[in-house]
Amino acid sequence: MARDEAASEKPSMDERLDWSTLMARAQDGDRDAYRRLLGDVTPYLRSLVARHHRNPCDVEDVVQDILLTVHAIRRTYDPKRPFGPWLAAIAKRRIIDRLRKQGRSRLRESALEEGHETFAAPDANLHAAAAWDERALRAAVASLPAGQRQAVTLLKLREMSLKEASAASGMSVASLKVATHRALKSLRRILGQRRNDR
Amino acid sequence: MITTPDLIEQLAATTTPVRRLRPPLLRAGLWLLFAAFILALLAAGHGVRPDLGQRLHQPAFVAGMAASLLTGVLAAVAAFTISLPDRSHRWLLLPAPALVVWISTIGYGCLTDWVSIGPNGVQLGETVRCFATLVLTSLPLSFAMLVMLRYAGLLRPRAVAMTGCLAVAAITATALSLFHDLDATLMILIWNLGTAALIVGLGGALGRRLFSWVAPRAGSIQDR
Repeated sequence: MARDEAASEKPSMDERLDWSTLMARAQDGDRDAYRRLLGDVTPYLRSLVARHHRNPCDVEDVVQDILLTVHAIRRTYDPKRPFGPWLAAIAKRRIIDRLRKQGRSRLRESALEEGHETFAAPDANLHAAAAWDERALRAAVASLPAGQRQAVTLLKLREMSLKEASAASGMSVASLKVATHRALKSLRRILGQRRNDR
Repeated sequence: MITTPDLIEQLAATTTPVRRLRPPLLRAGLWLLFAAFILALLAAGHGVRPDLGQRLHQPAFVAGMAASLLTGVLAAVAAFTISLPDRSHRWLLLPAPALVVWISTIGYGCLTDWVSIGPNGVQLGETVRCFATLVLTSLPLSFAMLVMLRYAGLLRPRAVAMTGCLAVAAITATALSLFHDLDATLMILIWNLGTAALIVGLGGALGRRLFSWVAPRAGSIQDR
């Protein structure tokens, strides 16, 4: 398993030779070889970048930055030498650049979190809490068995009468009542559990 | 933002054949040839110093000049080598031994003779003529180096700029010791390494835009 991982992270010798040939052709103006090469190295670059950057947007940005650099200085590649170290050196440069840029911006900027939008009056702070509760409730409702979910959706969320809900779902009024009762009970259990977890 | 597959498609669709760079040793040789050409021009225009024959018998002078010349050659080789992405950083150490010998032979000379006040009033000192030679030598050499190493701007701008400027400084010092009878090494080092520090400082402030007027445009695809 560990060996598989190592193999997938580092390009094998064959691949490198292959990339080297592709790059040599790309330098001669072969567009298909170039397209294939860039497509082939992208997953490798992504895994390389992902070791240093967590945010998927950052990873993609750095990968594109590397590809642009490779394009700009593609004439510095010497086909007699392996392609892997050449590419890795460029990748390292761009990864470090981005880390430095992040370090600099972290010094003078701070991320805007929802908590920062709050006010002294307690009424003004309900928004974030309400949004959280609504999300949790929707998730809890979605996890109910089908019958209970339908009952609670029709009666409580869409606020239908028992008669309307019965017509809409085809369930009898009595079974709707039972399903609603059970649904509320399990919702109380699920939400209570989540609150304890937090 | 453009997606990565789109970017690859654009890069592949717009790619053109490129000429591969020659080996770094050869390129350093070409630059040194250019330096020799500049020195020959100066020698023809200015003439060598009158006491050169005498000085060439002094071991200290010969050692200093040989060290500065060797520093220039080695620094040029190092600069061209580390300008390539896949070469080791250790190439930076290549000119170090010669540099140490050279620095140990430094005198104050030129720094102290900016103007001389004699019976004929204030005159420009030998320093000014030294300075003229210095500018005439180091400007074209620096410019040639900058153009030849423009690709390094995207990779290791600082290290390459410092090594390149050291090469220019060493060659200039050799030139001055051939043409002027004052020891100008310190002034040259201050001038050239000061230039290097300025370039590096500007590089830090401007980022990769520093080389952008000679470097290939990495962002040109996105700009369109």
